[in-house]
Amino acid sequence: MKKVITGNYAVSYGAMVSRSQVIAAYPITPQTQIVELLSEFCADGLLDAKFIKVESEHSAMASCIGASATGARAFTATSAHGLALMHELLHWAALGRLPIVLANVNRAMGPGWSIWTDQNDSLSQRDTGWLQFYCESNQEILDTIIQGFKISEQILLPTMLVLDAFFLSHTSEPVDIPDIEVVDTYLPKYNATYRLSTENPYAFGGLTGPDHYFEIRYKMQETMDQAIEIARQADEEFERIFGRSHGLIERYYSDDAELILVVSGSIASTTRDVVDQLRSEGRNVGMLKVRMFRPFPRQEFRNAVRRAKKVAVIDRNICVGFGGIFYQEITSTMYGHRDDLPIFGFIAGLGGRDVTPNVIHEIVTHAETHDTPDTEIIWIGVKR
Amino acid sequence: MKKRKYPKDEIITFKSANEMPPLAVSLGSMRWNKTGSWRYIRPIYENKTPPCDEACPAGEDVEGVQYLCEQGKFEDAWKLILEEHPFPGVQGRVCYHPCEEACNRGHYDEAISIHAVERFVGDYGLNHGLIPPRLSQERGHKKSEKIAIIGAGPAGLVCAYHLARMGYTPLVLEAHPVPGGILRVGIPSYRLPKDILEAEIEHIIKMGVDIQTDSRVDRDLLLKDLKDFNAIYVATGAHESRNLNVPGEDASGVMSGLQFLIDLNLGKKIAIGKKVAVIGGGNTAMDTARSVLRLGSEVVVVYRRSRAEMPAIPAEVEEAEHEGIPIHFLATPIRVITDQERVVQMECVKMELGEPDESGRRRPVPVEGSNFIMDVETVFTAIGESPQLSFLTEDIQTEWGSIVVSDHGETSKKGIFAGGDAVDQPRTVAHAIGSGKVAAIAIDTFLRGKDTAKIAASVQIGQKGSVSMERYLRGEIRYNASKVVRFEDINLAYFEHKDRVDLPRADIEKAKQSFVEVNSGLPESAVTTESGRCFNCGVCNMCENCWVFCPDISISRKTDAFGYDIDYDHCKGCGICVEECPREAMSLEEEQK
Ligand SMILES: Cc1cc2nc3c(=O)[nH]c(=O)nc-3n(C[C@H](O)[C@H](O)[C@H](O)COP(=O)(O)OP(=O)(O)OC[C@H]3O[C@@H](n4cnc5c(N)ncnc54)[C@H](O)[C@@H]3O)c2cc1C
Repeated sequence: MKKVITGNYAVSYGAMVSRSQVIAAYPITPQTQIVELLSEFCADGLLDAKFIKVESEHSAMASCIGASATGARAFTATSAHGLALMHELLHWAALGRLPIVLANVNRAMGPGWSIWTDQNDSLSQRDTGWLQFYCESNQEILDTIIQGFKISEQILLPTMLVLDAFFLSHTSEPVDIPDIEVVDTYLPKYNATYRLSTENPYAFGGLTGPDHYFEIRYKMQETMDQAIEIARQADEEFERIFGRSHGLIERYYSDDAELILVVSGSIASTTRDVVDQLRSEGRNVGMLKVRMFRPFPRQEFRNAVRRAKKVAVIDRNICVGFGGIFYQEITSTMYGHRDDLPIFGFIAGLGGRDVTPNVIHEIVTHAETHDTPDTEIIWIGVKR
Repeated sequence: MKKRKYPKDEIITFKSANEMPPLAVSLGSMRWNKTGSWRYIRPIYENKTPPCDEACPAGEDVEGVQYLCEQGKFEDAWKLILEEHPFPGVQGRVCYHPCEEACNRGHYDEAISIHAVERFVGDYGLNHGLIPPRLSQERGHKKSEKIAIIGAGPAGLVCAYHLARMGYTPLVLEAHPVPGGILRVGIPSYRLPKDILEAEIEHIIKMGVDIQTDSRVDRDLLLKDLKDFNAIYVATGAHESRNLNVPGEDASGVMSGLQFLIDLNLGKKIAIGKKVAVIGGGNTAMDTARSVLRLGSEVVVVYRRSRAEMPAIPAEVEEAEHEGIPIHFLATPIRVITDQERVVQMECVKMELGEPDESGRRRPVPVEGSNFIMDVETVFTAIGESPQLSFLTEDIQTEWGSIVVSDHGETSKKGIFAGGDAVDQPRTVAHAIGSGKVAAIAIDTFLRGKDTAKIAASVQIGQKGSVSMERYLRGEIRYNASKVVRFEDINLAYFEHKDRVDLPRADIEKAKQSFVEVNSGLPESAVTTESGRCFNCGVCNMCENCWVFCPDISISRKTDAFGYDIDYDHCKGCGICVEECPREAMSLEEEQK
């Protein structure tokens, strides 16, 4: 069924057709509508889930952890400060190997109180052991939730999918909502390997000495490595059933491009337009949309930029004291592989400032007119 | 998830990451880690004495009764009382219930209505034809020794009841034509209906007690007929009214209040005047005044001290006043004025309270020139009773008119025991019952050649002289009897404030016109609610708190009995169980290293 819905509602529908069994969430702008609609689904009997009202995001994630430990499919959604409050338990969920799915609406961190988008909230959780997907469209949001459960439940690591505040969360687009029975064929019932139960009791998360902790981390990384292939397969299987796929890193006119723009989130759709226009003008520009950020598909990225002359990374985030975070990831990915490839790191659109086609044009022009970057951080649009 | 394949009590060490689960999960157990060795204090289950139990002179398991009543187990509650004495129906009506004064709940909101609950339980037993619990064949086997009990008041009857349970066939000799002592001939039926008393005495008779009424023991009989008895219990009460020692006292209109009650209760016709004065402030005075009222005369009570010093049960005084009986406090008669041998007036003097006397009460002293005269036709004296002991031989020591006894009821003569009002002890039914129990234990140990003092000490409850017959006869240890739970020991977090349920208020206007029982009892639902308010001080009722709170899963429910086990191999001695026990049924002990 096709519906014109906001990104937030796409999240709710995604959680519904995935048959989430436990939803524990705390409202926060701009995520609130997600929770509202899910609570209505539960109240109306459209979704047979336990909806737990909690007093904080910390408790929301704690509830999801408990639920997931019993083998239930657990879902939550949050944003910015809410995600930050969850931080401790994000680690817990990952180290506890619990396949929880979380939707985070990207919102800038305060103060400088903001409800508008940027990626610093989710990127601050980079090292917690969660898979991260950055979505470009409402359809992709919905699909990524279904895929997220599919991947997570195979590898026992949680998934965070990320959508931009307002540009996606409050913007309506046509979205195909798949039939729940069809989703069932793609996403079977979760059968937990390790389950908290009274019949066969185990304690989870107990004291683990130096004898074993190290290996737990080692196995986590091992799984993360495998997750790339599993995510790829999940996307392919998704395509066979639903006729859509999103890839891990999408290549858009990039194979023969001299300049490749590396983007994520809703900036990708703007960039797509700009690339089309530049191509029609005969300029050799392409785009890579990084959808999967954790684990980072390093080899896929290297392959995608094999023939490029320049790479321009657009970061709607900043690791203060270093630079763009995607930029960091990409420079380190490329280190020792193509030392001849100049990589430009652009910062744009922080705190929800529009990244318009003109901004992208400015970035392209900058990259085209410089052989190598003058600085590690190239600020675009800052009022100096 | 597959069943465990790891050894349960050993440390699991994985050799490679491949063998390991991906997360921290207890595939084995931590039982190998005997964390109990870290402990320096240990929790123990130790039931303690609830203050109500300690305060009950009759030695009832008051808390146990509340526990059973809360669950509606009234039969068990009745039997629990009958382990101690056969008079719950009586005591549920006439006891002065010091248990309620001691009740820790009183410091929180209001004490439990223990007295009203007991009455319900007593009536339940009678209404359902329950039979008193018997002892095992072994404990209660027939015994041949001859025991005589003089006086069928509560002391004598309770002693006889327990001796009969132990297998003796005691002979009770009673001067009156009916058994019961003051319960039968003193307390009027509007407070204690005769059928209740008779039904409970019937249980005693059925137990194998031989009661011979109309058998006053005199010295002759004592020396001859009771010569070859192995043990004698003297429980003859105190029935001799003290004199006023004022001029005019010999007039025919001046009578003993107690004698009046005895006559009334034995159905004799008594002529009294229209205007009656009752002198005194005890139970006899109150009962006399209220009976006079019911016979249709005007009555006034004259008492030489103030309300606070009245020895009568406060509830009785309250009821008398409710019925409209005036009490002249701080006044005493100094002369009875007669006209042609008939009483016409009484001259009194007002008193004031001076220094405390030997009883601790402030001594009343006359106020000079405060004399006043009141018109009366009959004067009842109720200023105290003394035992009538002239039938005793001189080798039985007496002092201040009472028989001298040891803590175990032994008189100065071997084989002769005494108790109740005939000895120097508080004049209450509960104390009489308690002394009957003490004597039964002393007689049994004496006849069986055992160490009375040692055994008596082992059956004490608390520090106030109460004894547990259940413990004596069945060896059942209710609790660490010497430790009494204080209010501070209760964890109030677990108790909600709740109003006390009292007896329904009687219709006084109707009540004062007849000898029908004034108060009605509590309905069953009120009883369960009321006993549910009980803190169950010091006695585990399996509330599960310790089990729930133990962070080390070191507490488990006993599978075969009441209570919990502590796994000392793993208990770290954190003390949470003891802290969270609402009722001080657990304690911490320092670990003996
Ligand atoms: C009017 C009144 C009201 C009371 N009300 C209460 C009350 O409400 N609550 C309370 O707790 N206490 C009350 N008391 C006190 C209580 O009744 C006594 O403490 C209690 O009855 C004493 O029991 P006992 O067995 O020692 O003596 P008693 O009950 O006095 O029984 C002694 C028995 O021995 C018999 N006897 C005496 N001499 C001989 C003899 N030589 N040969 C054979 N038999 C003999 C007597 O006839 C009598 O039956 C009251 C007392 C009185 C007088």
